[in-house]
Amino acid sequence: MSFEYHEPTSLAEAVEMGSAFGVDGRFLAGGTDLIVQMRRGRVSPRHVLSLHRVPGLDGITIDGTVRLGALVTHRALERHADFRGRLRALVEGAEVIGGHQVRNVATVGGNIVNASPAADIVPVLLSLDAEVTCVGPEGARALPLDGFLVGPGQTARRPGEVLESVRFASLPPRSATAFLKAGRRKAMEISVVCVAARLTLDEAGERCVEARIALGAAAPTTFRARSAERALAGRAPVVEAFREAGRLAAAECRPISDVRASAAYRAHLVERLVHRALSRCAERIRGAAS
Amino acid sequence: MKIALELTINGERHEVTADPQRSLLDVLRFDLGLTGTKENCLEAECGVCTVLLDDRAVNACILLAAQCQGRRVLTIEGLARDGERHPLQQAFIDHGAVQCGYCIPAMILSAKAYLDEHPGPTEAEVREALAGNLCRCTGYQKITEAVLAAARVMRGER
Repeated sequence: MSFEYHEPTSLAEAVEMGSAFGVDGRFLAGGTDLIVQMRRGRVSPRHVLSLHRVPGLDGITIDGTVRLGALVTHRALERHADFRGRLRALVEGAEVIGGHQVRNVATVGGNIVNASPAADIVPVLLSLDAEVTCVGPEGARALPLDGFLVGPGQTARRPGEVLESVRFASLPPRSATAFLKAGRRKAMEISVVCVAARLTLDEAGERCVEARIALGAAAPTTFRARSAERALAGRAPVVEAFREAGRLAAAECRPISDVRASAAYRAHLVERLVHRALSRCAERIRGAAS
Repeated sequence: MKIALELTINGERHEVTADPQRSLLDVLRFDLGLTGTKENCLEAECGVCTVLLDDRAVNACILLAAQCQGRRVLTIEGLARDGERHPLQQAFIDHGAVQCGYCIPAMILSAKAYLDEHPGPTEAEVREALAGNLCRCTGYQKITEAVLAAARVMRGER
Protein backbone atom coordinates (compact mmCIF):
# COMPACT_ATOMS: atom_id res chain seq x y z
CA MET A 1 0.00 0.00 0.00
CA SER A 2 1.15 3.49 -0.82
CA PHE A 3 -0.65 6.74 -0.16
CA GLU A 4 -0.41 10.31 1.03
CA TYR A 5 -1.54 10.84 4.62
CA HIS A 6 -3.56 13.85 5.72
CA GLU A 7 -4.88 15.05 9.03
CA PRO A 8 -7.60 17.65 8.57
CA THR A 9 -8.18 19.63 11.76
CA SER A 10 -11.77 20.67 11.17
CA LEU A 11 -14.85 19.12 9.65
CA ALA A 12 -14.84 21.78 6.93
CA GLU A 13 -11.26 20.92 6.01
CA ALA A 14 -12.05 17.18 6.01
CA VAL A 15 -15.00 17.77 3.66
CA GLU A 16 -12.93 20.00 1.42
CA MET A 17 -10.16 17.43 1.15
CA GLY A 18 -12.62 14.56 0.76
CA SER A 19 -14.33 16.38 -2.10
CA ALA A 20 -11.05 17.33 -3.79
CA PHE A 21 -9.71 13.75 -3.71
CA GLY A 22 -13.03 12.11 -4.65
CA VAL A 23 -12.69 8.39 -5.27
CA ASP A 24 -8.92 8.60 -4.68
CA GLY A 25 -9.46 9.48 -1.02
CA ARG A 26 -10.66 7.48 1.98
CA PHE A 27 -11.49 8.76 5.44
CA LEU A 28 -9.75 6.88 8.23
CA ALA A 29 -11.44 6.39 11.60
CA GLY A 30 -10.31 3.42 13.72
CA GLY A 31 -8.80 1.69 10.69
CA THR A 32 -9.63 -1.81 11.96
CA ASP A 33 -11.23 -2.59 8.63
CA LEU A 34 -9.76 -0.05 6.22
CA ILE A 35 -6.11 -0.79 6.96
CA VAL A 36 -6.74 -4.53 6.64
CA GLN A 37 -8.55 -4.04 3.31
CA MET A 38 -5.71 -1.81 2.07
CA ARG A 39 -3.09 -4.36 3.04
CA ARG A 40 -5.02 -7.07 1.22
CA GLY A 41 -5.02 -4.81 -1.83
CA ARG A 42 -8.83 -4.69 -1.96
CA VAL A 43 -8.82 -0.91 -1.75
CA SER A 44 -5.94 1.34 -2.75
CA PRO A 45 -6.72 4.97 -1.93
CA ARG A 46 -4.08 7.47 -2.99
CA HIS A 47 -5.03 9.71 -0.09
CA VAL A 48 -5.88 8.64 3.46
CA LEU A 49 -7.62 11.31 5.53
CA SER A 50 -7.42 10.60 9.22
CA LEU A 51 -10.29 12.18 11.13
CA HIS A 52 -8.59 12.03 14.53
CA ARG A 53 -7.71 15.70 14.69
CA VAL A 54 -11.23 16.85 13.89
CA PRO A 55 -12.59 18.12 17.21
CA GLY A 56 -15.86 16.79 18.62
CA LEU A 57 -16.16 13.61 16.60
CA ASP A 58 -15.49 11.36 19.57
CA GLY A 59 -18.08 12.89 21.89
CA ILE A 60 -21.22 11.36 23.41
CA THR A 61 -23.97 13.79 24.40
CA ILE A 62 -27.25 12.88 26.07
CA ASP A 63 -30.14 15.33 26.48
CA GLY A 64 -33.42 13.73 25.42
CA THR A 65 -31.51 12.74 22.32
CA VAL A 66 -28.41 10.59 22.42
CA ARG A 67 -25.72 11.70 19.99
CA LEU A 68 -22.73 9.52 19.26
CA GLY A 69 -19.94 11.19 17.32
CA ALA A 70 -18.63 9.09 14.44
CA LEU A 71 -15.32 8.44 16.22
CA VAL A 72 -16.86 7.13 19.44
CA THR A 73 -15.12 3.81 20.08
CA HIS A 74 -16.73 0.54 21.03
CA ARG A 75 -14.80 0.84 24.27
CA ALA A 76 -16.56 4.12 25.05
CA LEU A 77 -19.98 2.54 24.43
CA GLU A 78 -19.13 -0.47 26.56
CA ARG A 79 -18.15 1.66 29.49
CA HIS A 80 -20.69 4.47 29.37
CA ALA A 81 -22.65 4.51 32.65
CA ASP A 82 -25.80 5.83 30.93
CA PHE A 83 -26.00 2.82 28.62
CA ARG A 84 -26.35 0.26 31.42
CA GLY A 85 -30.12 0.75 31.71
CA ARG A 86 -32.67 0.90 28.90
CA LEU A 87 -29.94 1.21 26.28
CA ARG A 88 -28.14 -1.91 27.43
CA ALA A 89 -28.06 -3.34 23.89
CA LEU A 90 -25.46 -0.70 23.01
CA VAL A 91 -23.13 -2.20 25.61
CA GLU A 92 -24.00 -5.75 24.56
CA GLY A 93 -23.41 -4.98 20.89
CA ALA A 94 -20.11 -3.20 21.57
CA GLU A 95 -18.56 -5.73 23.92
CA VAL A 96 -18.75 -8.69 21.55
CA ILE A 97 -16.62 -7.10 18.84
CA GLY A 98 -13.05 -8.33 18.47
CA GLY A 99 -10.84 -8.23 21.54
CA HIS A 100 -10.02 -5.23 23.70
CA GLN A 101 -7.36 -4.16 21.21
CA VAL A 102 -9.94 -3.76 18.45
CA ARG A 103 -12.66 -2.26 20.64
CA ASN A 104 -10.21 0.35 21.91
CA VAL A 105 -9.91 1.83 18.41
CA ALA A 106 -12.84 0.61 16.27
CA THR A 107 -15.50 3.31 15.93
CA VAL A 108 -19.26 3.50 15.65
CA GLY A 109 -18.99 5.60 12.49
CA GLY A 110 -16.63 3.08 10.94
CA ASN A 111 -19.01 0.24 11.73
CA ILE A 112 -21.86 2.14 10.04
CA VAL A 113 -19.98 3.34 6.95
CA ASN A 114 -18.42 -0.07 6.47
CA ALA A 115 -21.99 -1.35 5.95
CA SER A 116 -21.16 -4.96 6.66
CA PRO A 117 -24.28 -7.15 6.62
CA ALA A 118 -22.83 -8.72 9.78
CA ALA A 119 -22.16 -5.47 11.66
CA ASP A 120 -22.91 -5.81 15.35
CA ILE A 121 -23.59 -2.29 16.56
CA VAL A 122 -25.62 -1.31 13.51
CA PRO A 123 -28.66 -3.53 14.30
CA VAL A 124 -28.73 -1.97 17.77
CA LEU A 125 -28.81 1.50 16.20
CA LEU A 126 -31.51 0.38 13.74
CA SER A 127 -33.62 -0.83 16.67
CA LEU A 128 -33.32 2.66 18.15
CA ASP A 129 -34.59 4.35 14.94
CA ALA A 130 -31.25 6.10 14.68
CA GLU A 131 -30.56 8.88 12.21
CA VAL A 132 -27.14 9.67 10.77
CA THR A 133 -25.79 13.13 9.98
CA CYS A 134 -23.49 13.48 6.99
CA VAL A 135 -21.60 16.66 6.30
CA GLY A 136 -20.60 17.41 2.73
CA PRO A 137 -19.79 20.31 0.43
CA GLU A 138 -23.47 21.30 0.42
CA GLY A 139 -23.74 21.26 4.19
CA ALA A 140 -25.18 18.82 6.67
CA ARG A 141 -28.03 16.42 6.02
CA ALA A 142 -29.72 13.96 8.35
CA LEU A 143 -31.14 10.70 7.09
CA PRO A 144 -32.54 7.58 8.70
CA LEU A 145 -29.90 4.91 9.27
CA ASP A 146 -32.38 2.46 7.77
CA GLY A 147 -32.27 4.17 4.38
CA PHE A 148 -28.54 4.89 4.66
CA LEU A 149 -27.55 1.22 4.39
CA VAL A 150 -28.03 0.43 0.73
CA GLY A 151 -26.24 -2.88 0.18
CA PRO A 152 -23.25 -4.92 1.33
CA GLY A 153 -20.50 -2.33 1.85
CA GLN A 154 -22.68 0.36 0.32
CA THR A 155 -24.26 3.41 1.92
CA ALA A 156 -26.01 6.55 0.75
CA ARG A 157 -22.95 8.60 1.70
CA ARG A 158 -21.94 10.86 -1.17
CA PRO A 159 -18.35 11.37 -2.32
CA GLY A 160 -16.57 13.77 0.03
CA GLU A 161 -19.21 13.46 2.72
CA VAL A 162 -18.14 12.72 6.27
CA LEU A 163 -20.42 10.70 8.53
CA GLU A 164 -20.41 13.13 11.46
CA SER A 165 -22.67 11.48 14.03
CA VAL A 166 -25.54 9.15 14.72
CA ARG A 167 -28.40 10.07 17.02
CA PHE A 168 -31.56 8.60 18.47
CA ALA A 169 -34.22 9.56 21.00
CA SER A 170 -33.79 8.51 24.62
CA LEU A 171 -36.21 5.71 25.46
CA PRO A 172 -39.39 6.31 27.44
CA PRO A 173 -40.08 4.47 30.71
CA ARG A 174 -41.13 0.80 30.43
CA SER A 175 -38.68 0.36 27.56
CA ALA A 176 -35.76 -2.01 27.24
CA THR A 177 -33.29 -3.21 24.63
CA ALA A 178 -31.33 -6.42 24.19
CA PHE A 179 -28.67 -7.66 21.78
CA LEU A 180 -27.78 -11.29 21.10
CA LYS A 181 -25.06 -12.63 18.86
CA ALA A 182 -24.42 -16.15 17.68
CA GLY A 183 -20.84 -16.82 16.65
CA ARG A 184 -18.82 -19.99 16.25
CA ARG A 185 -16.90 -18.98 19.35
CA LYS A 186 -17.19 -16.22 21.88
CA ALA A 187 -14.48 -13.75 20.94
CA MET A 188 -12.89 -12.42 17.77
CA GLU A 189 -15.66 -13.79 15.60
CA ILE A 190 -17.91 -12.40 12.90
CA SER A 191 -21.57 -12.94 13.71
CA VAL A 192 -23.32 -15.98 12.28
CA VAL A 193 -26.46 -14.04 13.13
CA CYS A 194 -27.08 -11.15 15.50
CA VAL A 195 -30.33 -9.68 16.76
CA ALA A 196 -31.17 -6.37 18.42
CA ALA A 197 -34.58 -5.85 19.99
CA ARG A 198 -36.36 -2.92 21.62
CA LEU A 199 -39.66 -3.07 23.42
CA THR A 200 -41.82 -0.36 24.97
CA LEU A 201 -44.84 -1.44 27.05
CA ASP A 202 -47.92 0.57 28.03
CA GLU A 203 -48.32 2.02 31.52
CA ALA A 204 -49.90 -1.13 32.91
CA GLY A 205 -47.15 -3.22 31.36
CA GLU A 206 -49.80 -5.31 29.61
CA ARG A 207 -49.42 -4.32 25.95
CA CYS A 208 -46.54 -3.70 23.57
CA VAL A 209 -46.73 -0.07 22.49
CA GLU A 210 -43.74 -0.28 20.19
CA ALA A 211 -41.34 -3.02 19.16
CA ARG A 212 -38.23 -2.99 17.01
CA ILE A 213 -36.33 -5.99 15.74
CA ALA A 214 -33.14 -5.59 13.71
CA LEU A 215 -31.02 -8.39 12.30
CA GLY A 216 -27.39 -8.78 11.27
CA ALA A 217 -25.87 -11.41 8.95
CA ALA A 218 -29.36 -12.43 7.84
CA ALA A 219 -29.68 -10.45 4.57
CA PRO A 220 -27.49 -8.35 2.21
CA THR A 221 -27.72 -5.50 4.74
CA THR A 222 -28.52 -5.25 8.41
CA PHE A 223 -32.26 -4.61 8.42
CA ARG A 224 -35.45 -4.31 10.45
CA ALA A 225 -37.86 -7.25 10.51
CA ARG A 226 -40.93 -5.10 10.02
CA SER A 227 -43.61 -7.79 9.83
CA ALA A 228 -42.43 -9.13 13.18
CA GLU A 229 -42.46 -5.60 14.63
CA ARG A 230 -46.01 -4.98 13.38
CA ALA A 231 -47.27 -8.27 14.76
CA LEU A 232 -46.21 -7.22 18.24
CA ALA A 233 -47.97 -3.84 18.31
CA GLY A 234 -50.83 -3.93 20.80
CA ARG A 235 -50.10 -7.53 21.83
CA ALA A 236 -49.54 -8.70 25.38
CA PRO A 237 -45.81 -9.25 26.06
CA VAL A 238 -46.13 -13.00 26.41
CA VAL A 239 -44.13 -15.97 25.16
CA GLU A 240 -46.59 -16.76 22.35
CA ALA A 241 -46.28 -13.25 20.90
CA PHE A 242 -42.47 -13.35 21.04
CA ARG A 243 -42.42 -16.80 19.47
CA GLU A 244 -44.62 -15.61 16.63
CA ALA A 245 -42.36 -12.57 16.13
CA GLY A 246 -39.43 -14.97 15.87
CA ARG A 247 -41.21 -17.00 13.20
CA LEU A 248 -42.12 -13.88 11.22
CA ALA A 249 -38.57 -12.54 11.42
CA ALA A 250 -37.23 -15.90 10.21
CA ALA A 251 -39.67 -15.78 7.28
CA GLU A 252 -38.58 -12.23 6.50
CA CYS A 253 -34.81 -12.74 6.53
CA ARG A 254 -32.80 -13.57 3.42
CA PRO A 255 -29.62 -15.23 4.70
CA ILE A 256 -26.90 -16.82 2.63
CA SER A 257 -25.00 -20.05 3.13
CA ASP A 258 -21.27 -19.51 3.62
CA VAL A 259 -18.31 -20.86 5.56
CA ARG A 260 -19.88 -19.82 8.86
CA ALA A 261 -23.35 -21.34 8.52
CA SER A 262 -26.05 -22.48 6.14
CA ALA A 263 -28.95 -20.24 5.26
CA ALA A 264 -31.36 -22.67 6.96
CA TYR A 265 -29.37 -22.61 10.18
CA ARG A 266 -29.24 -18.81 10.10
CA ALA A 267 -33.03 -18.63 9.71
CA HIS A 268 -33.37 -21.02 12.64
CA LEU A 269 -31.09 -18.82 14.72
CA VAL A 270 -33.10 -15.73 13.79
CA GLU A 271 -36.29 -17.38 14.99
CA ARG A 272 -34.80 -18.42 18.33
CA LEU A 273 -32.76 -15.28 19.00
CA VAL A 274 -35.62 -12.89 18.20
CA HIS A 275 -37.80 -14.79 20.67
CA ARG A 276 -35.06 -14.72 23.27
CA ALA A 277 -34.13 -11.06 22.77
CA LEU A 278 -37.77 -9.97 23.13
CA SER A 279 -38.16 -12.09 26.26
CA ARG A 280 -35.07 -10.47 27.65
CA CYS A 281 -36.49 -6.99 26.94
CA ALA A 282 -39.70 -7.92 28.78
CA GLU A 283 -37.70 -9.27 31.73
CA ARG A 284 -35.67 -6.09 31.85
CA ILE A 285 -38.77 -3.89 31.85
CA ARG A 286 -40.25 -5.95 34.68
CA GLY A 287 -36.92 -5.84 36.52
CA ALA A 288 -36.70 -2.05 36.24
CA ALA A 289 -40.30 -1.63 37.45
CA SER A 290 -39.95 -3.82 40.53
CA MET B 1 6.18 12.08 1.21
CA LYS B 2 7.71 10.96 4.50
CA ILE B 3 6.23 12.08 7.78
CA ALA B 4 8.24 13.30 10.78
CA LEU B 5 6.91 11.79 14.00
CA GLU B 6 7.60 12.26 17.63
CA LEU B 7 6.71 9.28 19.81
CA THR B 8 7.34 8.55 23.47
CA ILE B 9 8.30 4.91 23.60
CA ASN B 10 8.91 3.26 26.94
CA GLY B 11 9.37 6.68 28.51
CA GLU B 12 11.90 7.89 25.95
CA ARG B 13 11.23 10.45 23.26
CA HIS B 14 11.97 9.26 19.74
CA GLU B 15 11.95 11.20 16.50
CA VAL B 16 11.18 9.02 13.52
CA THR B 17 10.78 9.78 9.84
CA ALA B 18 8.49 7.25 8.19
CA ASP B 19 6.52 6.62 5.03
CA PRO B 20 2.80 7.18 5.67
CA GLN B 21 1.96 3.53 5.07
CA ARG B 22 4.28 2.38 7.84
CA SER B 23 2.48 0.81 10.77
CA LEU B 24 3.39 1.40 14.38
CA LEU B 25 4.61 -2.21 14.33
CA ASP B 26 7.00 -1.49 11.43
CA VAL B 27 8.42 1.51 13.24
CA LEU B 28 8.91 -0.39 16.49
CA ARG B 29 10.50 -3.46 14.96
CA PHE B 30 12.39 -2.18 11.93
CA ASP B 31 13.15 1.46 12.67
CA LEU B 32 13.78 1.18 16.40
CA GLY B 33 14.84 -2.48 16.70
CA LEU B 34 12.29 -3.22 19.40
CA THR B 35 11.60 -6.79 18.30
CA GLY B 36 9.84 -7.86 21.49
CA THR B 37 6.63 -6.84 19.77
CA LYS B 38 5.88 -9.66 17.32
CA GLU B 39 4.51 -9.70 13.81
CA ASN B 40 2.15 -12.37 12.57
CA CYS B 41 -1.32 -12.05 11.03
CA LEU B 42 -1.17 -8.31 10.24
CA GLU B 43 -4.98 -8.20 10.44
CA ALA B 44 -5.69 -7.65 14.15
CA GLU B 45 -6.78 -11.25 14.59
CA CYS B 46 -3.98 -12.85 16.59
CA GLY B 47 -2.90 -10.08 18.97
CA VAL B 48 0.87 -10.80 19.00
CA CYS B 49 1.60 -7.18 18.07
CA THR B 50 -0.25 -5.76 21.10
CA VAL B 51 1.34 -2.67 22.65
CA LEU B 52 -0.13 -0.07 24.97
CA LEU B 53 -0.93 3.27 23.35
CA ASP B 54 -1.66 5.86 26.03
CA ASP B 55 -2.24 2.92 28.40
CA ARG B 56 -4.71 1.12 26.13
CA ALA B 57 -4.03 -2.17 24.39
CA VAL B 58 -3.97 -1.81 20.62
CA ASN B 59 -2.90 -3.95 17.65
CA ALA B 60 0.23 -2.19 16.38
CA CYS B 61 -0.08 -4.00 13.02
CA ILE B 62 -3.15 -2.08 11.86
CA LEU B 63 -2.31 1.28 13.37
CA LEU B 64 -0.53 3.71 11.12
CA ALA B 65 2.52 5.15 12.84
CA ALA B 66 1.28 8.55 11.70
CA GLN B 67 -1.80 8.14 13.90
CA CYS B 68 0.47 7.84 16.94
CA GLN B 69 2.07 11.27 16.60
CA GLY B 70 2.74 12.72 20.04
CA ARG B 71 1.45 9.67 21.90
CA ARG B 72 2.91 7.29 24.49
CA VAL B 73 3.72 3.71 23.58
CA LEU B 74 4.67 0.94 25.99
CA THR B 75 6.24 -2.22 24.60
CA ILE B 76 7.45 -5.31 26.46
CA GLU B 77 10.96 -3.84 26.53
CA GLY B 78 9.72 -1.01 28.74
CA LEU B 79 7.95 -3.10 31.34
CA ALA B 80 10.79 -4.01 33.71
CA ARG B 81 11.82 -1.21 36.07
CA ASP B 82 15.49 -0.75 36.96
CA GLY B 83 16.25 -4.32 35.95
CA GLU B 84 13.43 -5.69 38.08
CA ARG B 85 10.75 -7.72 36.34
CA HIS B 86 7.14 -6.59 36.39
CA PRO B 87 4.98 -8.88 38.57
CA LEU B 88 3.33 -10.21 35.40
CA GLN B 89 6.70 -11.18 33.92
CA GLN B 90 7.70 -12.91 37.13
CA ALA B 91 4.37 -14.71 37.44
CA PHE B 92 4.57 -15.99 33.84
CA ILE B 93 7.98 -17.49 34.66
CA ASP B 94 6.88 -18.90 38.03
CA HIS B 95 3.76 -20.52 36.62
CA GLY B 96 5.35 -22.01 33.52
CA ALA B 97 3.00 -19.91 31.39
CA VAL B 98 5.48 -19.66 28.52
CA GLN B 99 6.05 -22.35 25.91
CA CYS B 100 7.25 -21.13 22.51
CA GLY B 101 6.96 -17.58 23.80
CA TYR B 102 5.82 -15.87 20.64
CA CYS B 103 2.49 -14.62 22.03
CA ILE B 104 3.80 -13.82 25.48
CA PRO B 105 4.97 -10.16 25.21
CA ALA B 106 1.55 -9.22 23.87
CA MET B 107 -0.23 -11.46 26.36
CA ILE B 108 1.57 -9.70 29.22
CA LEU B 109 0.78 -6.23 27.88
CA SER B 110 -2.92 -7.05 27.41
CA ALA B 111 -2.96 -8.38 30.95
CA LYS B 112 -1.24 -5.25 32.24
CA ALA B 113 -3.74 -2.92 30.56
CA TYR B 114 -6.57 -4.92 32.07
CA LEU B 115 -5.14 -5.27 35.59
CA ASP B 116 -4.30 -1.57 35.76
CA GLU B 117 -8.03 -0.89 35.45
CA HIS B 118 -9.40 -4.03 37.14
CA PRO B 119 -7.11 -5.03 40.01
CA GLY B 120 -9.28 -7.89 41.29
CA PRO B 121 -10.55 -9.88 38.30
CA THR B 122 -12.14 -13.33 38.34
CA GLU B 123 -10.70 -16.13 36.23
CA ALA B 124 -13.49 -15.63 33.68
CA GLU B 125 -12.70 -11.93 33.46
CA VAL B 126 -9.02 -12.66 32.85
CA ARG B 127 -9.93 -15.03 30.03
CA GLU B 128 -12.19 -12.40 28.51
CA ALA B 129 -9.51 -9.75 28.88
CA LEU B 130 -7.10 -11.94 26.90
CA ALA B 131 -9.62 -12.95 24.22
CA GLY B 132 -7.79 -10.84 21.64
CA ASN B 133 -4.50 -12.70 22.19
CA LEU B 134 -4.14 -16.15 20.66
CA CYS B 135 -1.76 -18.78 22.02
CA ARG B 136 -1.35 -22.01 20.10
CA CYS B 137 0.80 -23.77 22.72
CA THR B 138 -0.43 -23.46 26.24
CA GLY B 139 -4.20 -23.87 26.22
CA TYR B 140 -4.31 -20.65 28.29
CA GLN B 141 -4.66 -22.36 31.68
CA LYS B 142 -1.23 -21.45 33.00
CA ILE B 143 -1.41 -18.01 31.45
CA THR B 144 -4.67 -17.37 33.30
CA GLU B 145 -3.16 -18.66 36.54
CA ALA B 146 -0.11 -16.42 36.08
CA VAL B 147 -2.25 -13.33 35.50
CA LEU B 148 -4.36 -14.05 38.59
CA ALA B 149 -1.17 -14.57 40.63
CA ALA B 150 0.31 -11.32 39.31
CA ALA B 151 -2.90 -9.51 40.20
CA ARG B 152 -2.50 -10.69 43.80
CA VAL B 153 1.08 -9.41 43.88
CA MET B 154 0.08 -6.11 42.32
CA ARG B 155 -2.62 -5.72 45.01
CA GLY B 156 0.10 -6.21 47.59
CA GLU B 157 -1.17 -9.62 48.74
CA ARG B 158 1.87 -11.63 47.66
